[in-house]
Amino acid sequence: MASKGNLTLKSCNGKEFIVEEKVAVMSTTIKNMVDVDDSFAQGVIPIIGVDGKILAKLIEYCKEHAEADEDEEVKSEEYLKKFDEKFVDELNLNDLYDLLKASNYLEITKLLNLLCQKVASMIKGKKPEEIRRIFNIKNDFTPEEEEEINRQNPWAF
Amino acid sequence: MEGGGLAMLSQLIGRLQVLFDVYDSPPPNYFLRFPPPPDHHHHHHHHHFSWCLLSLNDSSVKDNCYNLIITAGKSENLKMLEPGKPRPAKKARKGRNRGKLTETTNSTENMDQIIWKDFPEDLFEAVIARLPIAIFFRFRSVCRKWNSLLTSQSFSQQCTEVPPAQPWFYTISQENVNTGAMYDPTSKKWHHPTVPALPTELIVLPVASAGGLVCFLDIGHQSFYVCNPLTRSFRELPARSVKVWSRVAVGMTLNGKSINGGYKIIWVGCDGEYEVYDSMQNCWTRPGSIPSNIKLPLALNFRSQAVSIDGTLYFMRSDPDGIVSYDTVSGSWKQFIIPSPLHLSDHTLAVSEGRIMLVGLLTKNAATCLCIWELQKMTLLWKEVDRMPNIWCLDFYGKHVRMTCLGNKGLLMLSLRSRQMNRLVTYDLSSKEWLKVPGCVLPRGRKRQWIACGTAFHPCLTALA
Repeated sequence: MASKGNLTLKSCNGKEFIVEEKVAVMSTTIKNMVDVDDSFAQGVIPIIGVDGKILAKLIEYCKEHAEADEDEEVKSEEYLKKFDEKFVDELNLNDLYDLLKASNYLEITKLLNLLCQKVASMIKGKKPEEIRRIFNIKNDFTPEEEEEINRQNPWAF
Repeated sequence: MEGGGLAMLSQLIGRLQVLFDVYDSPPPNYFLRFPPPPDHHHHHHHHHFSWCLLSLNDSSVKDNCYNLIITAGKSENLKMLEPGKPRPAKKARKGRNRGKLTETTNSTENMDQIIWKDFPEDLFEAVIARLPIAIFFRFRSVCRKWNSLLTSQSFSQQCTEVPPAQPWFYTISQENVNTGAMYDPTSKKWHHPTVPALPTELIVLPVASAGGLVCFLDIGHQSFYVCNPLTRSFRELPARSVKVWSRVAVGMTLNGKSINGGYKIIWVGCDGEYEVYDSMQNCWTRPGSIPSNIKLPLALNFRSQAVSIDGTLYFMRSDPDGIVSYDTVSGSWKQFIIPSPLHLSDHTLAVSEGRIMLVGLLTKNAATCLCIWELQKMTLLWKEVDRMPNIWCLDFYGKHVRMTCLGNKGLLMLSLRSRQMNRLVTYDLSSKEWLKVPGCVLPRGRKRQWIACGTAFHPCLTALA
């Protein structure tokens, strides 16, 4: 069992992680659970649908940011920016996708924003038809409508 | 009758001053060409403006291939900006190729894996809000849902959560007063949007901005317009309640933290008259009069755009040199007497992370240098914090240089001109980085545009005028 001030998080494949409460509550979902019911703080919090590898990544991210929030001098804004850059650069596509879903579910806003930014930079060079293919989006425009939309903001092309 | 004549005269002088500031060098026969004022028919004024600008243009830009009346008045000009194969000058083409290269690197990133097909629907808006502005418009044709985001409340919310990037600049060029040229400092590209709702028969200048909206004022100081240059969202403000259209300084600020809370526009004249427009009420009000400790006439520095910090607007004045501020929340005016640095000219206020800055030219003997000062709040003195690199300043040696500030929000765009030189630079007040701005060339055009005036704005897709 975790000592006071620590929480135990359990991944869907049974891996347990003991983390400081300030790190765990970077997740709004966990924060709400702990706030509502004290017993969560004592026992083990199951993190449904997130495996050990992804949970470890999430904790690594939250740890850096929670420490930076506490002491700006040790971990400056610049340090965090570098950390964030390295963090997303080292992710493979599968992990990026799993982390996105996990941080969305756990409401880790900072990380979610960072990952959305990464996805945005990955798709920005693509054509609309590539976007549709990647995300399995149906083109519900007629060719005329599509042309008309593209005509509305010629400066952007 | 006499009062009316005087009003008319002051109005004409006001317009002359604007033209003088924007175009710098009126020809000697300028006054002769200026037509007599019409009687009480304000709407006819614009014809005279096209005329006097034409005369300005004839003599000041010899190789100008555009006829200003045509570019200002007719719709053919708009067609020039429809999509097509632009033929930019060599420099611009180089920039374009560079863009293409990065595009291909991104495209090779293999996103074909099956996982993306189940991308959570609720995350699309967060991703799209983080795309570069131009890419957003290209992706509108993906599907109806993506196309409808501009009017989506939740997308608007997502956009406010994205940390603001560098401001863009909305400028107009001397050759083309009815087409804006927008500069994106991140991609170092000029864009050429059209705002069809802006009157083409009047000359309207961008004078202020807030929350992604640009405020325009016609050179007769009568009509205000607000628009989002990205989306063409547009509003003409109701008429002001004054009879004399003398020159005014204009400031703009948001009511709250985001544009959703509406915005305020304020004009103030040299006689101390002022009015405040609130977009939520859609009307001008006169909250009172300027307190007596502010010296009248208020010798406003019209070359300097106002700056806005937390709902307070700062205007530059001279005689005595300093700043007057208007707090749009409390409605109170203040005056700060701040001695100007010696040998200063062409100066303008700027803002950087809540600090008030000053940018201007220092000229001594034959040497001219561009300097940046920061206001010391305790001592009310300007403290020099940076200078343009020596190697650039050397180019000004012995020349009569004029500077115009085309945007003063954290990032400055400065136009430096002399008889032999026409240079655009940006200066980042926080990183202290000086950069040259590529020439602005119209699509299908070849001639480099002469940027006459402009304002900085933080591009916002969902801002409604």
